[in-house]
Amino acid sequence: MDLLWTISTALLLCSLLSILWKESDRRRNRNCYLLDFVCYKPSDDRKLSTELCSDIIARNKRLSVPDYKFLLKVVVNSGISEETYGPRSIIEGREECPTHDDCVDEVDDCMYRTLDQLFLRTGVSPIDVDVLVVNVSMFAPSPSLTSRIVNRYSMREDVKTFSLAGMGCSASPIAIDLVNNIFKTRKRTLAVVVTSESIAPNWYCGTDKSMMLGNCLFRSGGCSFMLTNDPSLRHRAKMSLKCLVRAHIGADDDAYSCAIQKEDDEGRVGFHLSKSLPKAAVRAFAENLQRLAPKVLPVGELALYAVRGLRHRLWRSKEAKTDAATAARVNFKSGVDHFCLHTGGAAVIDAVGRALGLAKYDVEPARMTLHRWGNTSASSLWYVLGYMEAKKRLRRKDRVLMLSFGAGFKCNSCLWEVLRDLNDGGAWEDCIRAYPPQTLVNPFMEKFRWVKEA
Amino acid sequence: MPGAPLPEFSSSVKLKYVKLGYQYLVNNFVTLLLIPVMAAVYLELARMGSDEIMGLWRSLHLHLIHILCSFFVIVFAATVYLTSRPQPVYLVDYACFRPPGTCRVPFSTFMEHTRLISSDEKSVRFQMRILERSGLGEETSLPPANHYIPPRPTMEASRAEAQLVIFSAIDDLVRKTGLRLKDIDILVVNCSLFSPTPSLSAMIINKYKLRGNVRSFNLSGMGCSAGLISVDLARDLLQVHRRSNALVVSTEIITPNFYAGNQRSMLLPNCLFRMGAAAILLSNRRRDARRAKYRLVHAVRTHKGADDRAYRCVYQEEDAEGHSGISLSKDLMAIAGEALKSNITTIGPLVLPMSEQLLFFLTLVGRKLINPKWKPYIPDFKLAFEHFCIHAGGRAVIDELQKNLELSAEHVEASRMTLHRFGNTSSSSLWYELNYIESKGRMRRGDRVWQIGFGSGFKCNSAVWKCLRAVKPPVDGPWSDCIDRYPVDIPEVVSL
Repeated sequence: MDLLWTISTALLLCSLLSILWKESDRRRNRNCYLLDFVCYKPSDDRKLSTELCSDIIARNKRLSVPDYKFLLKVVVNSGISEETYGPRSIIEGREECPTHDDCVDEVDDCMYRTLDQLFLRTGVSPIDVDVLVVNVSMFAPSPSLTSRIVNRYSMREDVKTFSLAGMGCSASPIAIDLVNNIFKTRKRTLAVVVTSESIAPNWYCGTDKSMMLGNCLFRSGGCSFMLTNDPSLRHRAKMSLKCLVRAHIGADDDAYSCAIQKEDDEGRVGFHLSKSLPKAAVRAFAENLQRLAPKVLPVGELALYAVRGLRHRLWRSKEAKTDAATAARVNFKSGVDHFCLHTGGAAVIDAVGRALGLAKYDVEPARMTLHRWGNTSASSLWYVLGYMEAKKRLRRKDRVLMLSFGAGFKCNSCLWEVLRDLNDGGAWEDCIRAYPPQTLVNPFMEKFRWVKEA
Repeated sequence: MPGAPLPEFSSSVKLKYVKLGYQYLVNNFVTLLLIPVMAAVYLELARMGSDEIMGLWRSLHLHLIHILCSFFVIVFAATVYLTSRPQPVYLVDYACFRPPGTCRVPFSTFMEHTRLISSDEKSVRFQMRILERSGLGEETSLPPANHYIPPRPTMEASRAEAQLVIFSAIDDLVRKTGLRLKDIDILVVNCSLFSPTPSLSAMIINKYKLRGNVRSFNLSGMGCSAGLISVDLARDLLQVHRRSNALVVSTEIITPNFYAGNQRSMLLPNCLFRMGAAAILLSNRRRDARRAKYRLVHAVRTHKGADDRAYRCVYQEEDAEGHSGISLSKDLMAIAGEALKSNITTIGPLVLPMSEQLLFFLTLVGRKLINPKWKPYIPDFKLAFEHFCIHAGGRAVIDELQKNLELSAEHVEASRMTLHRFGNTSSSSLWYELNYIESKGRMRRGDRVWQIGFGSGFKCNSAVWKCLRAVKPPVDGPWSDCIDRYPVDIPEVVSL
């Protein structure tokens, strides 16, 4: 009988231990590690100088001279350099009637170049990929872009593919959210995410001012990155995901329609950016920060903020304070070391920088990315990260916040922790030494000075 | 991470069985050990008399602390075990879009429009021949923009169609389930051929004022099997987020995809694709388990994109005149068959009863060791499922699958009748078929349903559902006004 008791107790302990082991194993596999990322560097024959931009704009015979001047002013004052890239079909004059092949080639070039390099650098074989996510907002052919990649790299039959489209400039954190959720359901999974934007099929050839801004600011770019939850690959990983917050204010009609693809009065499709966009951005930003702050900031800072809020309420200050302004009272730099801001435009970067209380040093990566690459939509965050890495700013245990805005209207953010000192040049390799430049002013300002004269 | 690819059908199945057996053994090792021990304890207790048992019981009182400890340990173990189990995913209810009568396109209307739009007599005759043999009926629907001569595929019209089909389906779903839209935690939308910015998911969030922290995903370009991809994604998300629900919207927007050229391989979608949408409410909440219709048992995805032939068989491209369309290759049936076989190798071991698996295994062994001339045993899936929902991609697809899986006419009736009444509504067709089965009063508690979707890429996706409560007609849905007329006999060729 004693033997039986002993065996029973031993078995009970065994089952308890096995349950605990399974649970701890599951927890170990819940992390999301960034193994590597590769930013797209198009070939030099696709560079768009201001002169070339001016020629391209001039091709639209429907534009009046004031419209032409307005657009040129936008380009000249955008903070974008002569080194940004455009799609081949637009440079070669087919902007008004791109063929399906033009659009497909543009995205293929980005995806395949970056993926080839990604697989090479990580030493991972495409057959080992378990999850594949592609997000290109404004182009979704059949078969999907994920199928194109599966075909090109002969991936496995049971690869889980997701092709996200229409999700705007902040789709990168959405793709990461998707992968992160899948990681929590499976062990030792490897995911590849490709984020890019398609410009060739979306050139606006009308005369509506609100739709022409997209033409001037968007540039070709993309990024492929590899994520895993395998703890054995932690030593090779660059960063680890700490938290991710998605805020969507599409319930508000103004916010939903402030950045929307639609037809103008003459039936031409373009991307409309309304005047209420900054307001929507501020609201989405505030909502995101409200949920992000408790996850990101140290307890001391949160306590300080609570005390300040209480004091404000008790003293009933008569000044009307917006949510964003209150956010400035919170010192985000106490919990975050580096800020990857979406390069939506110089105004956007400056506004976000002010709201977060950032110094020139903190917004420099975003400003320089806008200068060197333009607004590459969803992949811009990765170019900003690449700048920080090339400048050797990313040290072990540093915390990096990625923040972006997108049509819908959304504000998505994610916080990463750097796992080891990073010093890869990446896409910035050949030009990082020239940054930051003496001046961000357009070198053709002299030539196009007549633009400024109203 | 798996290394070498598994190329061959039979060898991959063999390996899968070995792997499954090993997994079963390891996962249930402790349970398997416990059985003989429990048996021994019971025998021992039975052997002892009641006096000895009472004596034993009294002696235990001296060790109260041990009892308490064991009690806490058992409770703790039970809690950890329960919280680590995969969450069940329930299908609370679903709703399909019922097209208004004004959108109907009888054969005569379709042919009249085709003759007026197209200048090429040969393509008109070709489309007529397709329509005659398509298996479609006279009540399928096209969106309002396609009723113009020529069709007006503007972005505004596309959005209008999306709003019409999606909002109708969601409104229906809200009415049926009493769903409070502010409660939605996850939103997955799939629409292959129309992806505006902001996405259709943002459009739904805007219309129904969903919460700011809703997790929305918009899948596009993923073909006719994208509905099951969305369900699979929702399932993964529901594993991570407890006490949540997910709204899955599957649709295909026809307006922007009218093919205006004359290339034959690209004319088929014009003839077959029709308007449709479905909204599905999934949940992992315990209280929804009581009123849910189905529980998701398995979801399996297979992607044959690595094979060039499969990849190119449904392909969007421009014809010689620059008109964009989707070309369907002649190999489509063969490729669908192969994709299905691959999907079956994964799902077979999960759903087939032991008897079928054993038979298949023995036949395999026999073919390898005894006589290679033995015919390969095709497992009888009718033993695993009561109902089949095969994507109503076209008559030929349904015929091919009926042959491959050795199904009877009644098993594929739902697919054929859906194709007849609604046409090929792409990813939502599986839900129209499920609604047909329910409307016919055939869905009983405990029935298992197998939904099979095919799509560009080439993908074959499956979902297995188990019915939790009998669904009694009359069923509120797209079939409510016409179910009594079905099934109809669909002739091989309808003469136009």
